[in-house]
Amino acid sequence: MEQETTGSYISFVLGEEYFAINVAQVLNILQLVQITKVPTAPDYMKGVINLRGTVLPIIDIRMKFGMEPIEYKRDTVILVLNVEIDGEIVNAGILVDAVKEVFEIQSADILPPPGIGSKYKSKFIEGIFKMNDEKFVMLLDIDKVFSTDELVMMKDTTESPESKQAETIE
Amino acid sequence: MDNFQKKFLDEASDLVSQLEQALLTLEQDMGNPELVDSIFRIMHSLKGGGGMFGFDNISNYTHRLENMYDLVRQKKLKVTREMLDITFESADHISSMLNDDGSKTEEIKKNEEILNSRIEAILDGDSMSVVTVGDSVEVKPGLASYYVKVKPYEHIQRNGTNPLLLIDELVGLGRAKVNIFYSNIPDFESLVFDDTYIWWEVILATESDIDAIKDVFIFVEDDCEIVIKKLADGDVFSFDGIEPLLQCSHDFPFDLEKITSLANTIQALEKAKTETAQAAAAKEDKGDEHIKKFAKESTISGIRVASEKIDSLMNLVSELITTQAGLNLYADRAKNAELTRIAEGLENISRQLRDTAFSITLIPIDYLVVRFRRLVRDLSREVGKEIEFEARGAEVELDKSLIEGISEPLMHILRNSVDHGIETAAERKAAGKSPTGKITLSAYYSGSQVIIAVTDDGQGMNPEKIRRKAIEKGLVAPDAQMSDKEAIDLIFMPGFSTSEKVTNISGRGVGMDVVKRKVSDIRGTVSVSSELGEGTTITISLPLTLSIIDGMLVRIADVDYIIPLSVIDTIFAVEHEKIVSSFQNVINIEGVQYPFYYLRDEFAIPGDAPEREEIIMVKYEDRKIGIVVDNITGEYQAVLKPLGKLYRNQDIFSGASILGDGTVALVLDTHKVINQFTRYNDL
Repeated sequence: MEQETTGSYISFVLGEEYFAINVAQVLNILQLVQITKVPTAPDYMKGVINLRGTVLPIIDIRMKFGMEPIEYKRDTVILVLNVEIDGEIVNAGILVDAVKEVFEIQSADILPPPGIGSKYKSKFIEGIFKMNDEKFVMLLDIDKVFSTDELVMMKDTTESPESKQAETIE
Repeated sequence: MDNFQKKFLDEASDLVSQLEQALLTLEQDMGNPELVDSIFRIMHSLKGGGGMFGFDNISNYTHRLENMYDLVRQKKLKVTREMLDITFESADHISSMLNDDGSKTEEIKKNEEILNSRIEAILDGDSMSVVTVGDSVEVKPGLASYYVKVKPYEHIQRNGTNPLLLIDELVGLGRAKVNIFYSNIPDFESLVFDDTYIWWEVILATESDIDAIKDVFIFVEDDCEIVIKKLADGDVFSFDGIEPLLQCSHDFPFDLEKITSLANTIQALEKAKTETAQAAAAKEDKGDEHIKKFAKESTISGIRVASEKIDSLMNLVSELITTQAGLNLYADRAKNAELTRIAEGLENISRQLRDTAFSITLIPIDYLVVRFRRLVRDLSREVGKEIEFEARGAEVELDKSLIEGISEPLMHILRNSVDHGIETAAERKAAGKSPTGKITLSAYYSGSQVIIAVTDDGQGMNPEKIRRKAIEKGLVAPDAQMSDKEAIDLIFMPGFSTSEKVTNISGRGVGMDVVKRKVSDIRGTVSVSSELGEGTTITISLPLTLSIIDGMLVRIADVDYIIPLSVIDTIFAVEHEKIVSSFQNVINIEGVQYPFYYLRDEFAIPGDAPEREEIIMVKYEDRKIGIVVDNITGEYQAVLKPLGKLYRNQDIFSGASILGDGTVALVLDTHKVINQFTRYNDL
């Protein structure tokens, strides 16, 4: 018990799946505001907003993950994060479908990221945690997500999980 | 090192660069008394400061130089090349003393010995002429008589100052009479042995000016009461009938009134001999000069401010401007005349405040030019070429960070020009050119860019030679077809250096590719043009990275954009129909064909365009190119915010700005917009 470290994570939803980010990297949760689109940027970079006088870039994390884009709803929020890109701390916002809760995890309870057969590339996943309600939450290594132009998901699969397993063997 | 010492170091390096500047000008105009004066003043400040903050080595050394220039000031010495050389080297010497961390002390010492002996040589060599000058002139021009009162405070000796030495030094300046006052000495019982009770009055006839007299007391100003008065021009001791007035009697002060009135009478008589009008004019001149001199010394021309303070000032001004925009918007909507008036008044002030605050962060290129002049001078001597360096537009101002970033590339370009560009005097003569080569650095504003060009009238670049070299080095394919211009551009390729032999100056492995990289680090571009036998021009263009700009707020669909006013030439309204029907993106407006970019298309903005659109003619190099937007909102002063690392590839936007209603507008860099979309459209 004493040797174990605990970490606080905040969980959010993208479609059907649960993800979590260490709260140390979350600065703020904002309601959706008008986003100024920056032309010529990739689609997943939705544009910029005014965050108390500074210009904050907004990423549609769904699109970054290669999921189908959806209409933004009332629950859609912006998580303001500080991420490290090439050794530089940068503030950026990600659009998520909804924020769920903040919870604490003992490091011993974090399961290693799944290897073969996973829907997401394991280098973007710090680990997996099983919630009380038996749901699995993927703990994201958000720095790595931001540092790459690659898609995070192995393949754009929104079909049944059965077909996915066969396809994603590298 | 304490704070004061640090401050002195800062100030001293400023002084050294001022010294270099003055020397370079003096070199062009030897014997200009004003320049000699300013050099003298610099030495003087270095000496004073050095002594005060414990840099005795600097103080001692500059003392010798100061002596030399003092003699020049008194017209006993003439400015010679050797003297300038020594002073240039002294400037370096002083810099190295300032920067010495203890590791080079020995080296510095040796250098100082050499320099000292050279200074001595100058002083000795001319001592003959000093004597002759002294003899030939009856009344020495600077000779004047002064009254000096020295009344030390009681505690002066506790600081280790012996007031008698001050009196000695003072008397050493010329002919003097000293009056001593004992009256303050208390009874023996109440006498404190290290307190000072005695004071002095001195009548001094000297060639040194009042500054020299003040200098005697420079370090004891706070420890005694000093009164220095000029009594008369000329030597009062030589005046007839003054003898009784200058009798020294303890505790009886000199009768200054009588002395001055006598001196005045005598001088008036003398003056009467000369033409009255002439004398009056001379007197007026002198008065003016004194006032000017005094004004020069007593006004503070600038202060040093930590750059963090400037940064925070700029941040505050930025916030003010953004808040101002909000107020304007609110006032507009509120339809309250009084509020609108106040908002407008405030806007006026904040605009001025913005401009002033911004100008603080700018440094004129002149700041670099001094160094460059020195560089060219030293290098050309080293390689034995005669080169004249001219700087034009040195008043052009650049952001502090840009100045820092541009210094090294420019230095490298200048090195190249000296080393490879300009030929030797013999070669130049053979080519029918003037034996003196010329390097010109010119700076000017062009739209939102600052252009800095380095031109030499040297041998130019041989495209054939460059091509061969590039092929040899495997940088291009042997059968590659390229124009001369393209060949010359090869010098920017990494690993290219045409220098046949590696010299001390350039060809040290860093080539033009490094220059190019460094310039693009500060968002600039560099280009070269060269004519064989005629010379080479290297042009650097830099963005005026203003953090606050005057812009035109425009709209496309539901997004606001800002175009810097500085690039906008004219604006026309056009029918959408005319744009759709245009051929090859060229539009005819009032009989002139303009190429244009339709931003709705280039930005892939969905939706229907309005029937009437606006075409903004922006300056692009020497042309005007249209940029089509939906409509124009109006002028806007924009606080430029970076878009951030994630949008680093979207460099057609130089940043973003927050509007009064809190939404974000993107600031267009029209130059980059045109460059980027031209690649596909082939303008």
